Amino acid sequence: MNLLTESELSSQSLLSPKDVIRLEKASVRYRVPQERIGTFKEYFIRRIQGKVKHRSFWALDEVSFGVQRGEVFGLIGQNGAGKSTLLKLIARVLQPSRGRVLVAGKVAPLLEMGAGFHPELTGRENVYLNGAMLGYTRQDMAKKFNQIVDFAELWDFIDAPMRTYSSGMWARLGFAVATDVEADVLIVDEVLAVGDDAFQRKSAERIEAFKEKGVTILLVTHNMSLVKQICQRAAWLDQGKLIDIGSVEVVVDRYLQSVRDKENRRLSEEQYDNQERQWGSKKIEIKSVRILDETHQPQHIFYTGQPLILEIDYLANEPIESPVFGIAVHRQDGLHISGPNTAFSGLNLGKISGEGTMVYKVPHLPLLPGKYYFSVAATNSDDSEIFDYHDRLYPIQIDNLDRGINERYGLITLQGEWHHNP
Amino acid sequence: MTFDTSQSSIIYDSARRGHPAVEELRQVYQYRYLITQFVRRDVLTRYKRSVLGIAWTLLNPLGMMVVLTLAFSQIFRFGDIQSYPAYVLSGLLAWTFFSQVTTAAMVNLVWGGGMLHRIYLPRTSFALAAVGTGLVNITLSVIPLLLILLVTRVPMHATLLWMPIPILLLACFSLGVGLMLSTLAAFFPDVSEMYQIFLTAWMYLTPIIYPEEILPEYLRFLVTTFNPVHHFVKLYRLSVYFGRAPTLDELLIPTGIALSFLIVGWLLFTNKADEFAYRV
Repeated sequence: MNLLTESELSSQSLLSPKDVIRLEKASVRYRVPQERIGTFKEYFIRRIQGKVKHRSFWALDEVSFGVQRGEVFGLIGQNGAGKSTLLKLIARVLQPSRGRVLVAGKVAPLLEMGAGFHPELTGRENVYLNGAMLGYTRQDMAKKFNQIVDFAELWDFIDAPMRTYSSGMWARLGFAVATDVEADVLIVDEVLAVGDDAFQRKSAERIEAFKEKGVTILLVTHNMSLVKQICQRAAWLDQGKLIDIGSVEVVVDRYLQSVRDKENRRLSEEQYDNQERQWGSKKIEIKSVRILDETHQPQHIFYTGQPLILEIDYLANEPIESPVFGIAVHRQDGLHISGPNTAFSGLNLGKISGEGTMVYKVPHLPLLPGKYYFSVAATNSDDSEIFDYHDRLYPIQIDNLDRGINERYGLITLQGEWHHNP
Repeated sequence: MTFDTSQSSIIYDSARRGHPAVEELRQVYQYRYLITQFVRRDVLTRYKRSVLGIAWTLLNPLGMMVVLTLAFSQIFRFGDIQSYPAYVLSGLLAWTFFSQVTTAAMVNLVWGGGMLHRIYLPRTSFALAAVGTGLVNITLSVIPLLLILLVTRVPMHATLLWMPIPILLLACFSLGVGLMLSTLAAFFPDVSEMYQIFLTAWMYLTPIIYPEEILPEYLRFLVTTFNPVHHFVKLYRLSVYFGRAPTLDELLIPTGIALSFLIVGWLLFTNKADEFAYRV
């Protein structure tokens, strides 16, 4: 993590005339009561006793940056990093505890689909009600009404109570109202992840239309390929602090690298944690196992299709004739996916003694995202004696975060290709 | 901040907001259409699935009146009251307005407060909508009231025409109390339950179903002096039931109470409102 220096931060806080949003050391402190006090009596008694304890934490800690007009700006970071709090500051839902927030123009939040609809009211009544919540007047809504219903394709049901709507119709109307806004800043918080593929495409198109109109868009999502695809710049928040800001490629890559580093550390700690799942006569000992990527760097996080190299250091305590080395791949729940060994591959090792290394190369990992474990074993030639067995000791994580790999049904990819012969 | 999108040069600056109480007034004006929409929603949805629909707004107080008339005028007998049904109905209408508006102001904020986490709305819009809904209901209930006056042969006086004055004063008072309660309920969720018990006691301490003359002397003094609701109920009854003009005291005291509660409630609520988004 490379924290910005004070001077970099302050230079970024200078408002250029193009800035549409500016945050100056914006901070938000939440006060969480240590224990829930729900009645006055309790409150006053404790107040007098001086026992009202609050744990306060800074959900945002002196965050300063500017967003320019017409920019598509991504906010990234793990859960609890302060992204949503930052959006709330910009949407005026929260006031900063310290610091300052400036916004030039109207901010429109893209609400969760249909939040605020009342089931007993008709579609028409709900459109007006929802519009009013977004700050529109009756005249505004009268102008918008037709195009909202056109977009939602709900003319046949617009005067029926919304409780009779299917969930799809409900979401369509919600989306139509929420995106029919004229705003200078549009706040998009994870909503793109809602709905089926067709719906996501439709919402992506609407975002694109806003972009063309020159609306500033603030996007919060965990979908890093989406961030890379539509944002120009991004800010990375962690535990309320601004870690990095700049061009989207750079910031997203640094962020993902830090996520991988963290995950790698966790997985490699897990690897050395379990002595119970090793057994065997130890005539051959498996001394260490390394999982490497194509650059021969130790790695625990791979993407689908990436090369993987498994290196097994062994020590033969006595000369052994034609031993067999094997590995097994298990899904997290124990499902045995694959079990290659030297015998299946027709590799006779002859008589071995002393130290050596077995290398198993996978040209393209076919596994789809998830967590998997490698087992490693050394046995005699007819599998009647186990020399050493490491049962599911070596975890890997398959993660296609920003790789643009969409295949996700089932367990593995067949790495096939589609052709169309009309 | 403006809502005319053509004037996007106007800047929202968290450091340069006016006094919250004044700022809230400005925002309420901007969002006036929202408040009417909230009222519309509340009035329309309340009885939407019942066959008689909005007629229940009229039937409810009538039903209450019939029950109370049977219970009190037949069993207990309050002596020299002219048309007990008209007396009790007029009191009930004013009381129902007060209890419904204050409860709704509080409940709407607690239950509808989820919206406050997502988008900006003036925080007082929930309480204002509750008052609006109450005003619609009490206006509609003029119909059953006039009906009962006719049926029970209570003379109708010209004083009926200034009925809006006690209603408006009661609305100001209820808004003030509603805002105070909302502030409390945002911090202590138990308040809304406690308030229901409190309301029951409060109603029996207000001469609504009985004439104030039956109270023992010491209690009568306490109730008529320190129970603020009593002043509004009385003023309302003067107009619709007794048919006599109020004395200066009878007018100025409730006016003073209404304005003080409204101002204190508004200041308290708007000063604490920024914390709601952290809490509710």
